[in-house]
Amino acid sequence: MARVHNWQIGRDMSYWYPESRPQKQFAAVFDTNKCISCQTCTIACKTTWTSGKGQEYMLWNNVETKPYGFYPMAWDLKLLERLGPQSWRDGAYQGRTLFEAAEAGERVLGWRPEEIDYAYPNVGEDDCAGGDVEQGADFRIPHDKWFFYLARICNHCTYPACLASCPRASIYKRPEDGIVLIDQGRCRGYQECVKACPYKKVFYNPMTGTSEKCIACFPKLEQGIQPQCFVNCIGKIRFAGHVSTPAEAREDNPLDYLVHVKKVALPLYPQWGLEPNVYYVPPIHVPRRFLRQMFGPQVDAAIETYRGAADDLDLAGLLCLFGSTERVVPRWKRTGDVVIGMEEDGSEIVRVPITEPIFIRRAFDAARGVTRTNTP
Amino acid sequence: MRRWQRMLPVLALLAGCQAEPAHETATEVRALRRDVVTTDPADPAWDEAPEYRATLLLQDMVEPRLLAPSTPEVRVRALTDGARLAVRLEWADAAPDDLPGPARFSDACALQLPAQAAADVPAPQMGEAGRPVEITYWRASWQATVDGRPDDVKALYPGAAVDAYPFEAASLEPGSPEQVAMAKRYAPARALGNDLAGPREQPVQDLVSEGPGTLRPAERARSDGRGRRTPSGWAVVLVRPLSPLHGAGDTPRQVAFAVWSGENGEVGARKMRTGWVPLRIEGAP
Repeated sequence: MARVHNWQIGRDMSYWYPESRPQKQFAAVFDTNKCISCQTCTIACKTTWTSGKGQEYMLWNNVETKPYGFYPMAWDLKLLERLGPQSWRDGAYQGRTLFEAAEAGERVLGWRPEEIDYAYPNVGEDDCAGGDVEQGADFRIPHDKWFFYLARICNHCTYPACLASCPRASIYKRPEDGIVLIDQGRCRGYQECVKACPYKKVFYNPMTGTSEKCIACFPKLEQGIQPQCFVNCIGKIRFAGHVSTPAEAREDNPLDYLVHVKKVALPLYPQWGLEPNVYYVPPIHVPRRFLRQMFGPQVDAAIETYRGAADDLDLAGLLCLFGSTERVVPRWKRTGDVVIGMEEDGSEIVRVPITEPIFIRRAFDAARGVTRTNTP
Repeated sequence: MRRWQRMLPVLALLAGCQAEPAHETATEVRALRRDVVTTDPADPAWDEAPEYRATLLLQDMVEPRLLAPSTPEVRVRALTDGARLAVRLEWADAAPDDLPGPARFSDACALQLPAQAAADVPAPQMGEAGRPVEITYWRASWQATVDGRPDDVKALYPGAAVDAYPFEAASLEPGSPEQVAMAKRYAPARALGNDLAGPREQPVQDLVSEGPGTLRPAERARSDGRGRRTPSGWAVVLVRPLSPLHGAGDTPRQVAFAVWSGENGEVGARKMRTGWVPLRIEGAP
């Protein structure tokens, strides 16, 4: 075990390999408040990458309803229970990471989903539990009954548990962009990575006898285009790019601005110690206790900042860039009421108004002799 | 081992049955010279070869380790035709595990030889850097494929319903070069030529290793083998060619064995194994 620094938990920790950060780290921000769980991302991924034999049950991208939904079943609850106390003090995690909590003979604390755990994607998870909804309950915030949608892909972690667990080093993290890949020519299907990945984003292919996972659509990213699940998102909840360490954060890098400057997007279960690189804008109407467990102690501040976006033109502007272009936007700036996405060299990719212009048309169109109706 | 299996000797005595005739305990694996060697585990020729009972040890030296013992021993008999070494491994295993799947693992076994015979053998745990070992590995799921299980997800999950695969579109003639090439693209490990990704034509694989984590397919597939269920477990024959490098004349030879119990989640480094066992090959060149 080596000692490495994990900025998400505010301390050093043990990891199987020494710290070796890529030149750039692929990262993403998902705004949970905008997700409607239409599963367009899931289908976009499915039809692109996992239509083969043995891949039928694989969902490299899935959207599940929290707190009732899981794919595979109880993926996070099982680990939260096993890991024990997970407390924070002054921004530093006081508990053990999955690497520090590894049992004898293991490299990572993990568990192995069985076939039955993959058998119920999205089944019944939008059925609110907890009794009847009383009249007027919808006026109380947070609601008594609540859920939100959590879209999930591989987190392309800085300290991947899958990579650490592979006894034959078949998993690697690309030095150029930090994407985590399984070498399909080298994998022998031991499923150690399936057991170790806490997010359960590695899947065993029984037809080829190897394990497979999300590849962050690297052939697209290499051409400067965002992955399939990003560009097909009709809710425009996703934004792909690269994230820096806090010390190297740049305000004109959209990911850095959201993660490090505004701190409005947070990692999923940072206490597990993998330094995951998909960051979530937490849902604003969910009990904070639940969110603190899921996204760490910065949740309250993040929601406050997000709620203030209406009065923060920079933050509001940047959020408007989500889903505005297929291209990866490495830099951005705001000019008045317009936000501009740019290439690294400053050339313009896209220009988006923060306030959409309002057009007022007469109800009766005399030229065509018809009455218009509004379709909001 | 299941509790009832441990009770079998006791039950046999209680029933007044005569116990199996006591074998003289062999202290080495001795391969008898025969004109031909067989891959049939049930061939009577095996009864003529002395049986070596190898106690299996936990692989608890490198992560991921196996911490709870499972298969206690493997019974070994060996034959040779001068050019090939044939070994039959038998071990107790309550239920066959030959279906691949999430959290499902196949029963398996292997034999290991130093790539070059010498008095100073490489480490028995997968060899050492610069001092490779050669391995012949058998897997029950591959045996099932070789024995006729179709290369289709419905053979693994009979109740599976699949709407369509892109590479089985009506516009593609089944078995045409275009269709075969497209099907391969949708099976990444096959497209990359991963030797184990199937569909396998042999239930065994030739491997080379120079230490834990370095296992790789041998440059050429040279081994043969066959596994069969017995009333109490598996009988697997592994046949591999011998080369002068494996020893000549009276050179001391060594062999090691490993057994994986799929039911026990054993795979890769999580296995029961032996240290080096002395190997004598009759009439070896």
